[in-house]
Amino acid sequence: MYCELTERERAGIINPIFTCQPAGAQYASIGIKECIGIVHGGQGCVMFVRLLFSQHFKESFELASSSLHEDGAVFGALNRVEEAVDVLLMRYPDVKVIPIISTCATEVIGDDIDGVVRKLNAGLLKEKYKDREVHLIPVHTPSFVGSMVTGYDVAVRDFVKYFAKKTEPSAKINLITGWANPGDVRALKHLLAEMQVEANVLFEIETFDSPLMPSGNHVSHGETTIQELSDTANAAATFALNRYEGGKAAEYLRDKFDVPAIIGPSPIGIRNTDTFLKKLSEATGKPIPQSLVRERGIALDAITDVTHMFLADKKVALYGNPDLVISLTQFCLDMEMKPVLLLLGDDNAAYKNDPRLKELEENLDYKLEIVMNADLWELENRIKNEGLEVDLIMGHSKGRFISIDYNIPMVRIGFPVYDRAGMYRHPVVGYEGAMLLAENIANTWFADMEHKHNREPVLNVW
Amino acid sequence: MKETSKERVEQLVDVIMKKCLWQFHSRTWDREKQNENIILKTTQILCDEPVVKETPEEKCYWVDAVWLANAYKEKFPWVTEIDKEDLKQIMRELKERLDFLLITGSLNAELTDPLY
Amino acid sequence: MPYHLFKCSECIPERGKHAVIKGPGETLADALPLGYLNTIPGSISERGCAYCGAKHVIGTPMKDVIHMSHGPVGCTYDTWQTKRYLSDNDNFQLKYTYATDMKEKHIIFGAEKMLKQNIIEAFEAFPAIKRMTIYQTCASALIGDDINAVANKVMKEMPDVDIFVCNSPGFGGPSQSGGHHKINIAWINQKVGTVEPETTSEYMINYVGEYNIQGDQEVMQDYFKRMGIQVLSTFTGNGSYDDLRAMHRAHLNVLECARSAEYICNELRVRYGIPRLDIDGFGFEPLSSSLKKVAMFFGIEERAQAIIDEETARWKPELEWYKARLAGKKVCLWPGGSKLWHWANCIHEEMGVDVVSVYTKFGHQGDMEKGISRCEEGALAIDDPNELEGMEAMEMLEPDIIFTGKRPGEVAKKVRVPYLNAHAYHNGPWKGFEGWVRFARDVYNGIYSPIHKLSLLDISKDEIPVDRGFETQRMLSDVHLSEEIKNSTELREYTGGYDLLKGLKERVYPEFPPKANVALPAV
Repeated sequence: MYCELTERERAGIINPIFTCQPAGAQYASIGIKECIGIVHGGQGCVMFVRLLFSQHFKESFELASSSLHEDGAVFGALNRVEEAVDVLLMRYPDVKVIPIISTCATEVIGDDIDGVVRKLNAGLLKEKYKDREVHLIPVHTPSFVGSMVTGYDVAVRDFVKYFAKKTEPSAKINLITGWANPGDVRALKHLLAEMQVEANVLFEIETFDSPLMPSGNHVSHGETTIQELSDTANAAATFALNRYEGGKAAEYLRDKFDVPAIIGPSPIGIRNTDTFLKKLSEATGKPIPQSLVRERGIALDAITDVTHMFLADKKVALYGNPDLVISLTQFCLDMEMKPVLLLLGDDNAAYKNDPRLKELEENLDYKLEIVMNADLWELENRIKNEGLEVDLIMGHSKGRFISIDYNIPMVRIGFPVYDRAGMYRHPVVGYEGAMLLAENIANTWFADMEHKHNREPVLNVW
Repeated sequence: MKETSKERVEQLVDVIMKKCLWQFHSRTWDREKQNENIILKTTQILCDEPVVKETPEEKCYWVDAVWLANAYKEKFPWVTEIDKEDLKQIMRELKERLDFLLITGSLNAELTDPLY
Repeated sequence: MPYHLFKCSECIPERGKHAVIKGPGETLADALPLGYLNTIPGSISERGCAYCGAKHVIGTPMKDVIHMSHGPVGCTYDTWQTKRYLSDNDNFQLKYTYATDMKEKHIIFGAEKMLKQNIIEAFEAFPAIKRMTIYQTCASALIGDDINAVANKVMKEMPDVDIFVCNSPGFGGPSQSGGHHKINIAWINQKVGTVEPETTSEYMINYVGEYNIQGDQEVMQDYFKRMGIQVLSTFTGNGSYDDLRAMHRAHLNVLECARSAEYICNELRVRYGIPRLDIDGFGFEPLSSSLKKVAMFFGIEERAQAIIDEETARWKPELEWYKARLAGKKVCLWPGGSKLWHWANCIHEEMGVDVVSVYTKFGHQGDMEKGISRCEEGALAIDDPNELEGMEAMEMLEPDIIFTGKRPGEVAKKVRVPYLNAHAYHNGPWKGFEGWVRFARDVYNGIYSPIHKLSLLDISKDEIPVDRGFETQRMLSDVHLSEEIKNSTELREYTGGYDLLKGLKERVYPEFPPKANVALPAV
């Protein structure tokens, strides 16, 4: 067998690929309109996550903390959640949705956030805010379970679980994008528009790329409404593009409301986009229009220019969110490249049974190592000490020093990307995303050829 | 126009507040020590009296005092012009004023915290 | 009453004592904001936690150390690659971070065994590194792991390694400041006095409270070296673990950031009799005074004077070029803790700007005393500001630029106020003479950015100027400037390069013969 599925053998993590669950819940919560999450834990759990978002998006997002201090850690800190909800509601009159996001500290001390939500519903909200629509949603995201990816998955499910109400059946679909960028959401909405399909988009974060306006809007917000979240129960189908980032919500809607769940593929690359459109067409009865045939053609035309001349047989190491890494791997293979190492950065047991990984195991004829529960040292150590040679690294900015120190070109992709400008605007999904991605890979490679004087004259003539 | 001695004290205070850091540590015991030693040595320098600077600690206070004395001489001509006894009186008032602003009249609740 | 209650905070009246406006004739004894109190939950404060104060702010700048956090992965990840503290060993401590990866089973059964395994693995991965700091987190504190015991055990088994343990969980105190203190005290209690230094000069200092943001420490070290002074240790930017264990042998503690590092200096004074000299590395005048004071302590004032003369001659005309163009610009000085008082007075005097507001996210009342003392009348001082108060203050004060953190900077950008990164700088280093000019240049480029000016235009209703194809900063800044200044041949724009540190690395330092007859302060 050429394709090997292994796990990190070391106990510890050297240079993590992911942060922890509460960050994922926070990422989901900023996608909802009129929502400010309260993270129940130490202040760092919010302050740094807000910083991380602002590093990636160059925007500021609102998230609150219950500000757990010493006394709370000893005696319990639910009173601080109560106060936080009240303070937030008093000062932010538009806020309607408040997820209460737990952390390692408050899970260890056993603070009952479900209980405090019941208490607040029966007390504070009834008395002080009786004329106001307020939704408090407990989200359990202990940091010692899973990663930011599972935290996102859990939070999306909890939001859907809280809001979804069966009323009238709708022709709309649910589109759960997974951990996406504004550019991705734009590209996905474009595909849906071309297909004439309407959707409840979870989450509508195109607005994360917010403008500098004369009116001076000062924060960025997602725009998925309570109405859309409620309506998810009535949809014709749920498309959860990423198995591990929204899959749980799709399953919930299927099990509870019989909404068919179509989980995957992440429409990264030509083939995955084809599959997505095919499934979309099946679920909605809408044909794939000529406009998309043409768009696909433009992408294919562009990608053909760079594949067998430049990309063929280039060895790639990839790390990041599992659905992203796996889909990228598939696209790289279609582009004649050779992914040799995939790092999946948490201990999710489901990876072992992922059909996409199985397909790799069954069909590859060269060595590809897939490391689960990995850290970035799994990549660096192989390069530094074990003779791994790669032509290209694909991953987020936290791994940038591997590229710099070992002089390997790197395509920035995933979350977070803070050392290249504007990457959140560039989609990786759909035909447009495939084309941009292929061109980004090629351009990165070209720059490296020049930088290293590695056959760079061949770029003179096309 | 000649300033009152109160105005002169305020002039001297202002230099310390805007330009120095030695007076601002977090506990009363430190502030008392700093105010006392540095103002004493500054007074001695301004009055051309001998300054003890044998130990490292004394030397360190002396360094801040030299700087302060020079700053005073440079900024306020009256410092070198007035009678030494008058200057000493102003410096005593300066010390009192500093102690008030930074210690006895201070609103900083941390000054008396016995722990770090 | 000088206290200021923001409109947005009227519903949380306890905020009323956290802001003051410095009134005419008022002193610190009249009004001082409360400080370092528990944060109001849900207020969207900008504070971090005590873990980050210890690990991220003070601990990690130490350069030749494996920085391991005992807990779930998030604390480690979140405080990694988010600050610009460099080191001259190829930024080892910036590149590598370590988490013990605490999982549910460890919460239930304890994580000491896996901590030990973690320590051994990390040393194996980096065989050249023999020093480690282990940081407690909320999770490991709450389950009660005895990190000290594990560290001691490993040190017994691996005699060539040394481990420092910092127990500062995230919930320990109102802000990151709690962590600053804990790591100060832990270091002096555990590590100072356990190594004897190699002496290369008869004058030795500890440089305390300097974190080498974009190379600040290297700039200051350059001055000290030019004076023949050995920087025995720097706490902690670009600092070496073993050098810091030898802090007890210095003749003088030169203290720069008196909130995060004051306690260790006080203890060094109490325990080892090393005096403490408070200095300022920012601004020509404060820096000159500081260098002179340090030199005077050692009786080598002429060496400091030579540097001051040389640097001032080289850089003052450039500082003045910017000052002439920044005069009267309104600044909100909104950093984390110490910059408010480091900068409040000297940017006013040396860059000509007016500080209309200072704030501190995590500082204490002592920081506010300094900050308020050093700014002019009318300035608004805010303790533990929150999102809405920051907005309200910007609307009220209409600053021309704000100096703050990355994320609040994004808020400012959106309301079309240029921002500079006060924590990590734009084009630093900002310490030193040249650094100060770089700061002035960054302020200038921020305020007079043609793009910034375009952002003020509403093309749907404003008159759109169509008479020009471009503007330059100079076209904007020199509009109201006198001909004399405009055409001055004395003044000039910044002439340094992109990377100031490159020049420092090539410098050859003079050798000073030992000074006979100078009694060295005995320690």
